[in-house]
Amino acid sequence: MQKQVRFDNKVLPYLLVAPQVLITIIFFIWPASQSVYQSFLVEDPFGLSSEFVWFANFEELFADSTYLDSFGRTLLFSFSTAFLAISMALFLAIMADRVIRGETLYKTFLIWPYAVAPALAGVLWFLMFNPTIGVIGFGLNALGYEWNHYLNGWQAMVLVIVASAWKQISYNFIFFLAGLQSIPKPLIEAAAIDGAGPAHRFRTIIFPLLSPTTFFLLVVNLVYAFFETFPVIHATTQGGPAKATEILVYKVFNDGFIGLDLGGSAAQSVILMIIVSGLTVFQFKYVEKKVTY
Amino acid sequence: MSTVTLKDLKKTYANGFQAIHGIDMEIRDGEFIVIVGPSGCGKSTLLRMIAGLETITDGELMIDDRRVNQVEPGKRDIAMVFQNYALYPHMSVYDNMAYGLKIRKKSKEEIEQLVNKAADILEIGALLDRKPSQLSGGQRQRVAMGRAIVRDPKVFLFDEPLSNLDAKLRVQMRIEIRKLQRALKTTAIYVTHDQVEAMTLADRLIVMNGGLPEQIGSPMELYDRPSTTFVAGFIGSPAMNFIPIQVDKKDATLPSGQKLNFSAPSGHAQLLLGIRPEDIEITTPELADLTLKVSVIEPLGADSLIYGSCEGMKEDLVVRVRDKALVQEEEIFSVRFNQQKLHYFDPKTNSRLP
Amino acid sequence: MVENRPLLTFFSHLALIVGISFIALPVWLAFVVSTQEASALFAGQVPLWPGEHFIENYSSILFEGEKNSGAPPILLMITNSLVMAVCVAVGKITISIISAYAIVYFQFPFRQAIFWMIFMTLMLPVEVRILPTFEVIAQLGMLNSYAGLTIPLIASATATFLFRQFYMTIPDEMIEAARMDGAGPIRFFVDILLPLSRTNIAALFVILFIFGWNQYLWPLLVTTDASYYTVVMGIQRMMAVPDSDPIWHYVMATAILGMIPPVIVVVTMQKLFVKGLIETEK
Repeated sequence: MQKQVRFDNKVLPYLLVAPQVLITIIFFIWPASQSVYQSFLVEDPFGLSSEFVWFANFEELFADSTYLDSFGRTLLFSFSTAFLAISMALFLAIMADRVIRGETLYKTFLIWPYAVAPALAGVLWFLMFNPTIGVIGFGLNALGYEWNHYLNGWQAMVLVIVASAWKQISYNFIFFLAGLQSIPKPLIEAAAIDGAGPAHRFRTIIFPLLSPTTFFLLVVNLVYAFFETFPVIHATTQGGPAKATEILVYKVFNDGFIGLDLGGSAAQSVILMIIVSGLTVFQFKYVEKKVTY
Repeated sequence: MSTVTLKDLKKTYANGFQAIHGIDMEIRDGEFIVIVGPSGCGKSTLLRMIAGLETITDGELMIDDRRVNQVEPGKRDIAMVFQNYALYPHMSVYDNMAYGLKIRKKSKEEIEQLVNKAADILEIGALLDRKPSQLSGGQRQRVAMGRAIVRDPKVFLFDEPLSNLDAKLRVQMRIEIRKLQRALKTTAIYVTHDQVEAMTLADRLIVMNGGLPEQIGSPMELYDRPSTTFVAGFIGSPAMNFIPIQVDKKDATLPSGQKLNFSAPSGHAQLLLGIRPEDIEITTPELADLTLKVSVIEPLGADSLIYGSCEGMKEDLVVRVRDKALVQEEEIFSVRFNQQKLHYFDPKTNSRLP
Repeated sequence: MVENRPLLTFFSHLALIVGISFIALPVWLAFVVSTQEASALFAGQVPLWPGEHFIENYSSILFEGEKNSGAPPILLMITNSLVMAVCVAVGKITISIISAYAIVYFQFPFRQAIFWMIFMTLMLPVEVRILPTFEVIAQLGMLNSYAGLTIPLIASATATFLFRQFYMTIPDEMIEAARMDGAGPIRFFVDILLPLSRTNIAALFVILFIFGWNQYLWPLLVTTDASYYTVVMGIQRMMAVPDSDPIWHYVMATAILGMIPPVIVVVTMQKLFVKGLIETEK
């Protein structure tokens, strides 16, 4: 936490933390507390006066089926994205860890999507799935499967899941590969001498040793899917068709910024804050990060 | 070239732990002082207080005639060699040595001259462009010394500087440090837990125990007249033997009931008799002070250590002999104590009886 | 691997190549589309090989922009992105490195409280405080400015933690030796701590440059003036043309241009990038 040997200075430390603290208060703490405050208020339609209503906004929210639907949709979206991104990355990392020749080259070719903005990832897959000129969209139609994510909600959901997962594969790949490479070689060799084949070794030794990494990545991927995929949706489906891809972060933006429902949007913000706080605390407290590179 | 004066120096940590209970001492100009003691005795704390790295809770610290209690370490005109050398890893050997001079705003030419001179003395002139990571342990040690001497400080401080070296290099560097300090005539304060290092380097040494100096004096003073059982046991290897005895008038009796055939000081019913292994000799049964049974023989080459057990004594008595062929394992043998080299201690206070 | 199984090794290579192709496919097709002329992109045509309009399309989008959607030339957007990414990365590193220094090397009242306050920023992503943050920016007159694009983003718990973690690994003797040499807190920071932090700074810069470049919601909120658009958010304006399909070859050219700078950074500084990524998650 802190050094035993320290400098003695009454003013300097405050000057050093001042910029960080000021920015944190002005742009983080203050707006967040405003969100909390507003979540207890109801404004009249003209925005002239507001009334303190305690938890009425929250009650209304949880009675609202569109909100509950969005909640469920978010869970589905997040877990699917996390599962897809993690399983693809794990598979590729195991393969990359196996090969001796060309490992660096493969690595280079697998990590660059991390640099692609989620919005651009959305745009790329939007093209891929386009029913008329996209390889997948057009191909499916040509094969007789009707694909139109402009009209079909489930198909739109598949689009945003694939786009979001695609971007996250690199991140997971890097951590899995680091995790695999940190497994002591003698352990694997001992198992091989004991007669365990590659598949058996993976099941009984490698995967258990990777489980802290996997667990850590699950949390990180969920946070990513919950909060950082807003651009994917905003740039492509805009929550549609018919709210089929309206996840919580998109809804809070839409209701607040576009729909101008201050109290309701603030209440949604507060709920999101609780979720992200919970995930953060969970990540810091319980997730072992024994990844060494 | 300076004196250092400690006046009732005390240190209490914020958590209430008192590390130094009050030390008075005058360190003379050019003297080599070694502070020795087991870990946790406060020796490093004391050194760091002199360095200015630990605050002084009470008392006074003077370098020459200047009170430096509140003076920043960099302004005390002292230099320190650390246990792990603490070389700046990103700077070359030259820059490591020059850094303190640069801060003191010396001119480029002067810095170059001083660094080269120090490098010559330590024979590290060829290493000046290297980074610490490219040096061996012994070379790093020299650079750390170079960093200290280049500033020509009033006082050198050494914090266990040899403990990271292997045994052979340790002996070699020990001799070099001694020569260097003799040549430069700079006052030096040296902390170690190794009593051989302490004995060989010190003009005077301080044996610390539990935050207090047990005894201050020249190595031979401490060896010949240890003022407490702690000092007696700490200085000298193997350690002094202690034998609890009963005194009735002038007759001394061992725990086993065996009578010693010499007289002990009167006035105490219980005494602790101290005798160093080299002050015991093997003799014939007629002349014996004590009869022992050999439990282990350790041949050291030049001499041997014989561990002998005696009924009623918990620990084996250690005897140092030139010729190990005198006895066999399991054999019963007789020993005689050098009457001039007996030490008596009060078992209650553990302090020396005159 | 331990035993030599040629078939398994062959399969591994195959799997990797298929995986890489799958990952690269969308970018390839985007590039293909970006080199077509508008007439090649009508229904039922799925071009798989680049067309002949590479220079034409890219120069038009770079220097003129897409006129239908009112988007400015992409070159301007790329400049804005670059300014934003560099400012955010430098800003975050600067204020984090000094606040971590204060927290680790000084004892002062409210130190703990300040540490937790910085920690809390982790729990408050833009998405959960959109409206009030927007109001603050508006009141401070920071809409449509580089200051508004960057300053509110430069608080960073992650970077502060990284530097804190790193400082803790520096032996105490380093500061003691510096004090014996007569260095005060500022000299120690500049002469010793900063040079020792070089690799960490570089690794963090790579991560934060990408973070800054890829910002979406934030520029969306604070810019209404098209001359402050960044590439990543600007593309949305080109996608969302009411009642018509996007002009695919322009959109895809923009997408390609928008991903080149950060991809180059990641690929050329792969080692630093991986280090930065893993260190920041500790």
